[in-house]
Amino acid sequence: MKRRISPTLIALALAVFLFFVGGLIQPGFTSFELAMNILRLAAFLGIVAAGQTLVIISGGEGIDLSVGAMVTLGAIISYGLISKRDDRILIGLLASLGAGMIIGTFNGIGVAYLRIPPLVMTLGMATVIQGLIFAVTQGSLEGGSAPLLSKITTEPLLFGIPGILYIWAAFAGLMWLLLQRTRYGKNLFAIGTNRVTARLSGVNVNATVITTYMLCSTLASFGGFIFLGYYERVFLNLGNPYTLPSIAAVVMGGTVLSGGVGSYWGTMAGSIVLTLITSLLTTLRMEEHLRQIVYGAILLVLLAAYGRQRALRQ
Amino acid sequence: MKAALNSGLLRRLGRQYFLFSLLLLILGVIINASLQQNFFKPIALVGLLRTYLPLVLLAAGQTVVIIGGGIDLSVGAIVSMVNVILVTRMGADATQSQVLTALAFGILAGTLAGALNGACIAFLRFQPLVTTFATTSIFAGIAVWILPRPGGSVPDFFMQPYRSAPLGVTFPLWVILGVALIWWYLRSTRFGRYLYAAGGDAYAAYMSAVPVEWIKFFSYVISGLMAALSGVLLTMSIGTGSALIGLDMTMPSIVSVVLGGTALSGGAGGVIGTILGVFILAIIRNIISFANVPSWWQTLVNGLVVMLILAGPGLWALIRGRREA
Amino acid sequence: MNKVSLSAQHLVKHYGGVVALADGNLEVNAGEVMTLVGANGSGKSTLGKIVTGVVAPDGGRLLLNDREVVFRSPQAARALGIVAVYQELSLVPRMTIAENIWLGHERQGAGAILRDTEMRKKTQELLALFEGTTHNHLDPDLPVASLSPGEKQIVEILKALSWQPSILFLDEATASLDSRQVNRLFELIHEWKRQGMAIVFISHRLDEIYRIADRVTVLRNGRTVAIAPINELSQPELINLMIEGGIAARTNGKQPGPTQTEEILRVDALSTTTLRGVSFVLRRGELVGLGGLQGQGQTELLLALFGAIPYTGRIFLHGQPITLHRPQEAMRHQIAYVPGERNTAGLLPIQSILDNLLLPSWKQYGFPLRIRQAQEDATRVTNVLKLVMAGLDAPVNTLSGGNAQKVVLGKWLLRRPKILLLDDPTKGVDVGTKSEFYKILSELRAEGTSILFYSTDDEELLGLCDRVLVLHDGKITADLSGERLVHSELVAASMGSSA
Repeated sequence: MKRRISPTLIALALAVFLFFVGGLIQPGFTSFELAMNILRLAAFLGIVAAGQTLVIISGGEGIDLSVGAMVTLGAIISYGLISKRDDRILIGLLASLGAGMIIGTFNGIGVAYLRIPPLVMTLGMATVIQGLIFAVTQGSLEGGSAPLLSKITTEPLLFGIPGILYIWAAFAGLMWLLLQRTRYGKNLFAIGTNRVTARLSGVNVNATVITTYMLCSTLASFGGFIFLGYYERVFLNLGNPYTLPSIAAVVMGGTVLSGGVGSYWGTMAGSIVLTLITSLLTTLRMEEHLRQIVYGAILLVLLAAYGRQRALRQ
Repeated sequence: MKAALNSGLLRRLGRQYFLFSLLLLILGVIINASLQQNFFKPIALVGLLRTYLPLVLLAAGQTVVIIGGGIDLSVGAIVSMVNVILVTRMGADATQSQVLTALAFGILAGTLAGALNGACIAFLRFQPLVTTFATTSIFAGIAVWILPRPGGSVPDFFMQPYRSAPLGVTFPLWVILGVALIWWYLRSTRFGRYLYAAGGDAYAAYMSAVPVEWIKFFSYVISGLMAALSGVLLTMSIGTGSALIGLDMTMPSIVSVVLGGTALSGGAGGVIGTILGVFILAIIRNIISFANVPSWWQTLVNGLVVMLILAGPGLWALIRGRREA
Repeated sequence: MNKVSLSAQHLVKHYGGVVALADGNLEVNAGEVMTLVGANGSGKSTLGKIVTGVVAPDGGRLLLNDREVVFRSPQAARALGIVAVYQELSLVPRMTIAENIWLGHERQGAGAILRDTEMRKKTQELLALFEGTTHNHLDPDLPVASLSPGEKQIVEILKALSWQPSILFLDEATASLDSRQVNRLFELIHEWKRQGMAIVFISHRLDEIYRIADRVTVLRNGRTVAIAPINELSQPELINLMIEGGIAARTNGKQPGPTQTEEILRVDALSTTTLRGVSFVLRRGELVGLGGLQGQGQTELLLALFGAIPYTGRIFLHGQPITLHRPQEAMRHQIAYVPGERNTAGLLPIQSILDNLLLPSWKQYGFPLRIRQAQEDATRVTNVLKLVMAGLDAPVNTLSGGNAQKVVLGKWLLRRPKILLLDDPTKGVDVGTKSEFYKILSELRAEGTSILFYSTDDEELLGLCDRVLVLHDGKITADLSGERLVHSELVAASMGSSA
């Protein structure tokens, strides 16, 4: 059995390399402030991609293309409910998490019980969420972020490190606990590896699938809440640009698209690398469309490294 | 004698995979006609055909890929790419030869895009979903690169055929007839047979000397070509360019295929069903706009209706399974 | 048809470090039936695959009509008239019989349009060869998915025939055919011989071999140990050639019948899509075998008792009626199921041995999971099983077949099952592991576990079980015990004769 070098380590090494390349191109790139800023953005992507990690590990062609729309919905709900008041942050948070749970449960039921392929289910759900946003807001967004929320997420909290990074670190610990030290985590890897074996070993496959999609949408919605803290404003399709990167980060972190293998550490490293690449391309004054092309190309290269399927001839 | 013929025809129809779609379409037409007084007037029907013709071609190409066991998320981006190539290379006062070169460029670009997808998926064995997701980003990026801001125009003589009606039959109907005929031919050749075999059971097909990799490759090339033609028709229809114009067509193209009775698992279905599927989608949208649904609610209602139809077979199986168990 | 001859000489094939074929020899001439026999793992399927171009050999040579040939693919072999019928079906379920038969060599007409009418007619001619032996009339336009396993096998044979082979390989082609269909196939083989076809016939069924073969090639541990005319070898001689050490090793698990008669499980008129009213009783500490030809409903019976497939009929545990809708419910009643298809139903191949062993039991380890406790429990089980492994964290697919099967059993030992359902658990397992396996079973019985044991290996059933229930076509045709628990009775009942 050949031992593979951990994809997490490769991604981390790549991140360090890119960081110094950035420093060579533009001296200010390696400054503490800029590094913190990159990590801050990476934390946001990392939280959105956490749910995607779970869905992809669950196998069965699992993928969630509705995370972008869900981020938007989460941000808009928080925006509307918080309305610039610190004392309403908690209500905003709970409401957006609740919305994520409901949407995700529908995704899960569609995939598990109605046997709709995850791709179609979540793509369709993205339209429904978008429709919900249009219907509820009627195009006019009223509300606002709260000063405290922005303070927690963006401003330095301790040792000059922004609060969101502490949140991310705690979140990473929880993800590890979830994947490695709970029955749900063990069942998740089991259904991703072989659903027949899992079922015949007493795993409730459908319940595990539904839980997974529910968690994914909930985490995406939480991502929307964080987004509000960063940017303090919302618009009708703010989450759309995050669907593709959320998948790319997971794949870069070594989580296998066919399911059953993966870790959140890898996704975190993947998020950092992708954010670094975006920052570098911005530093190089590359325009949005070129970034998009480079992004797609990087994803193809990643597929070449991790995403190959089995050959017909053995 | 006539009765026997009739029942034979009915039985053959009953075996078709698109029977459910046909019934759904008829139901939709009835509802629509009751809401819209002039629905059966030529002007309304021709308008509908003109609006949805580009989607018919796009979904037809998608059908070929899906039957072959894959999926193509990049078709919408290819439409955008072809659209912006056409308007930037033409302009309002282009000569005939300039228009032809532009067309050649556009169609070639779409086909090459399909070939890129096909090569990655068939020969390098990348996962279809994420591969075409990644190439969507590339093609859409190229489209923005070519035409950052919506605009541009095409000569009138380029748009004219779209509104014509040769031999008294409207242009879109000719195109749809052509697509159906080409599909019928393709089905009757080895390529068609191998497409179903490769999508139905790739290993069994490989064991039977079917060149599975090449079949998959060409299914994506066809999809790219059809997306390019769809882009050409769209440009003829609207006469201007936008790098985002096709992106919203990808999801409807997949939904049309599913509504037309083609299973996403591959190896079954066909383009005739997909054509019906596009019109089911068209009728749903038409009904929603004529049922006085407020405009801010239309996306939601449309999305929910489509999801409900997609969930239909699974829901039915679930209910039936419960009763049997 | 020209006279053909094929000769394989000293073929060698390694898979990684494992020698699958050390010295494989085979020859067949026009107008004869050569059979290839050998125990599991003797290399006969590897030999067959090399000769038909599926697998490339590492050494040795192939002579076709005395000229050396090299096949790069099954197509290359097929082009030279060597066509195989494999047991792994190569049919596309959603396509029709005619489409499947002509797949890969369709007749084309003008404009590359396929001549469907002509192919359908030819298909009808081919199907006529088996006319009257199938339950339903086979129409060329029927989708293959709607056929029974036997009918699929017939289509597979006809598909091979449509290539007009000069040398035909039949690899376990009779496994899913019923006796009428086998008879028809043998009539056809006689006809094909007369026409000058060379046929290689691979089968586990000795009676069939003696009925159809002209000569026999015996493989043992990857080597051809004999090539002889069939009438020069008696059945016992042939069996002795196939197995070293004889049958003795298999019977060491045999114990006296159960000392207690307490009824644990009673099954009353159990039916599924395959089973047609099965009733029996299982007592405490009893080891009851399920026999019969493959695919007669044995696996379905075990799956139904594990709550994995829907059923009708009644099941009683300790006299109380129970219903089993899901495996979790069966597990709550301490019923365990060990599937024989390790890789598709028993294991999580890429996950660790620990995760495989504990998958059904995580519930007992709280939150967060007490991993150390889990490791201790898993270690205890691996000691009982004498599992040879690099460590609990090693992926389970690094284990040998026998050790992997021990893991499938081991994950249920942690839960102390009252009823153990075994679905052909020793398939493809080496002799040493088998006897360890038998020892574990007898220990479990001593502790009072009742075992329902399906095996495709008749000797194993006879040597191990207190009773054997023989299934045929979804029904129990015999309940053999005591003096009636002998091979002849088992075979007779397997063929459906309820003596």
